[in-house]
Amino acid sequence: MSEARLHVTDSQGRRVVVLDRPLFMIGRRTSADLQIVSTDVSREHAEIALEDGRYLLRDRASRYGTFVNGEQITERTLQHGDRIRLGRTEAIELVFMTEGAKTTGFLDTGTSDGGDLRQMAAILNGLRALGSGRVLDEILVLVMDSALEVTKAERGFMMLANADGELEFKIARGRGRTTLPGTTFTTSEKIPREVFKTGQSRIVGDLMEGDWRGQHDGTIAVGIRHVLCVALRVTPMSAAPASARSERVIGVLYLDGRERSTMLSKATHSSLEAFATQAALAIESARLYAESAEKARTDHDLKIAAEIQRNMLPEPVFEIGSVDLAAESIPCRTVGGDFYDYLEIGERGLGFALGDVAGKGPPAALLAAAVQSNFVALAPVSSEPAETMARVNKALLRRAIDARFATMFYGAVTPDGRLSYCNAGQEPPLVIRRAGVSWLETGGPVLGLLSIATYEFETVVLEPGDLVIVCSDGVTEARNRAGEEFGRDRLVAEVQARHGAKPEAVLEHLIGAVKLFSDGAAQADDVTALVLRYLGAK
Amino acid sequence: MQIGQRMVGDVTVVEITGDITLSKGGDVMIKDKVNSLLQQGNRKLLLDLGNVSYVDSAGLGQLVQVYATTSHNGGSLKLLRVTKRLKDLLVLTKLLTVFESFDDEKDAVASFTK
Repeated sequence: MSEARLHVTDSQGRRVVVLDRPLFMIGRRTSADLQIVSTDVSREHAEIALEDGRYLLRDRASRYGTFVNGEQITERTLQHGDRIRLGRTEAIELVFMTEGAKTTGFLDTGTSDGGDLRQMAAILNGLRALGSGRVLDEILVLVMDSALEVTKAERGFMMLANADGELEFKIARGRGRTTLPGTTFTTSEKIPREVFKTGQSRIVGDLMEGDWRGQHDGTIAVGIRHVLCVALRVTPMSAAPASARSERVIGVLYLDGRERSTMLSKATHSSLEAFATQAALAIESARLYAESAEKARTDHDLKIAAEIQRNMLPEPVFEIGSVDLAAESIPCRTVGGDFYDYLEIGERGLGFALGDVAGKGPPAALLAAAVQSNFVALAPVSSEPAETMARVNKALLRRAIDARFATMFYGAVTPDGRLSYCNAGQEPPLVIRRAGVSWLETGGPVLGLLSIATYEFETVVLEPGDLVIVCSDGVTEARNRAGEEFGRDRLVAEVQARHGAKPEAVLEHLIGAVKLFSDGAAQADDVTALVLRYLGAK
Repeated sequence: MQIGQRMVGDVTVVEITGDITLSKGGDVMIKDKVNSLLQQGNRKLLLDLGNVSYVDSAGLGQLVQVYATTSHNGGSLKLLRVTKRLKDLLVLTKLLTVFESFDDEKDAVASFTK
């Protein structure tokens, strides 16, 4: 008898399903052996029956029919490589495979000997070759289910080491291919941790005996007494003598159950050890492959996103008659959640804004782009800044971006020096006057959260040489190695004597001061600042 | 982060311990908790934040979100024992006026019956 399986492609992605019972049901029903969710698939669509060593595919009077290699069938003996289609859609494909697998009796008889696990190893190898991100999850499930089947354990779980070398819970399964919540095993982590540390397998014949007593009351309470725990060990492939290769434990496989005879037999144990080696190799390669493929893809996408984000910001230096300004945004990751913008709004002069979206990285960058484009669209058609802010708030709420919000400052300076502004939860900007410093606080709550939010604006008069300095909280909340914040006082101290100075110079000084203060401590948030100088009516 | 719950009369006191942050999943846990309370018909919710050490911007957003959801469902959600750091954050983001907040549980519970 050959080991038969279906390579399934559907809306859930790709996976391999082993035909592990004499009558294998395919359909939309949750209890089907292979459940496929699609309107084209009937509740009981088709079955595959194992009769006289042949696999017979039968249509179960499905609504949209069953097809083999493009031909509609009612019953057909499957051959290796046959392509099965369910209904009209091409999006679902099942490929029947038998070759590449040796003899087995393992999944349908459940007997325990080394041959069964060698069979598993072959399947794992096949999965490894598929090499997609999803394969890792499939391998974990397959390893768990196979290990349970062979050892006659009732339940089990797997823990894998993370990048920091700490054990993390990955998956728990029970008999009958069910996934169990990780909390089922909270009392059972002592043995796996010990196995991980020492690399030595543990067989605990009876939790009631010896020093395990009292530590596994939860496990014993459900009647489980016997534990098998093996290390998942990776030995690098190399021609070097075994003694020179460095072995690495990447995780542990834990199984427990009631059935003493199978669980504690020497044959079970040695085949499980052999199997664990194969499983570890498959897990490790799937993981490495997924990581490198994912990383290459993400790096590339992020690079493009960062370029787009830079291009969305206007020129960092600008001058128009009565006003000149300079701005800079330094994301702490590749892309950031801060933005600045400015635009001419007719007789109302020059509008300028700085915004900061809660969070960091790509999600924040997307929302920042949404806020910025709403601002640019709505500022010219609003009569004053509070109206702009209220409209941006409504626009963001319409998009219903769950619990994400933005802070933003928006001001507009007329040629005669009247600055009207509205502050929506942004760190208050500073005005540096000849006579001293003031803060721009009037406005309303952060954007994108509250439909009832109202906004106010205030108008202040600027004199020639006055500076307006707007920063994101990445400036005031920058930390040094001692964990101290840059803070508002330092901000004031760095810029208060700069009245009349060129915006570029003030900005450069400020960013320099923040960098100097951080003293090499990692930048924890996006740093963005805009400096505007009123030059006087022209 | 941990979430506990107890009833005082018909007011559900939701006790939150730990950080309410994106990285620790605290923001989503609060949402799920409040949604399930609303589904069970609880309409008077009091969030006890006395044992919350840190709230990041995602956590803050979620607090406002559950406030809005509760109001939308005809309920009211109030805050109990807001820490200094969170209060500063609520002031800066001008969200403090949105929430009714109390330092004393008795006052908070009584306010629901007014």
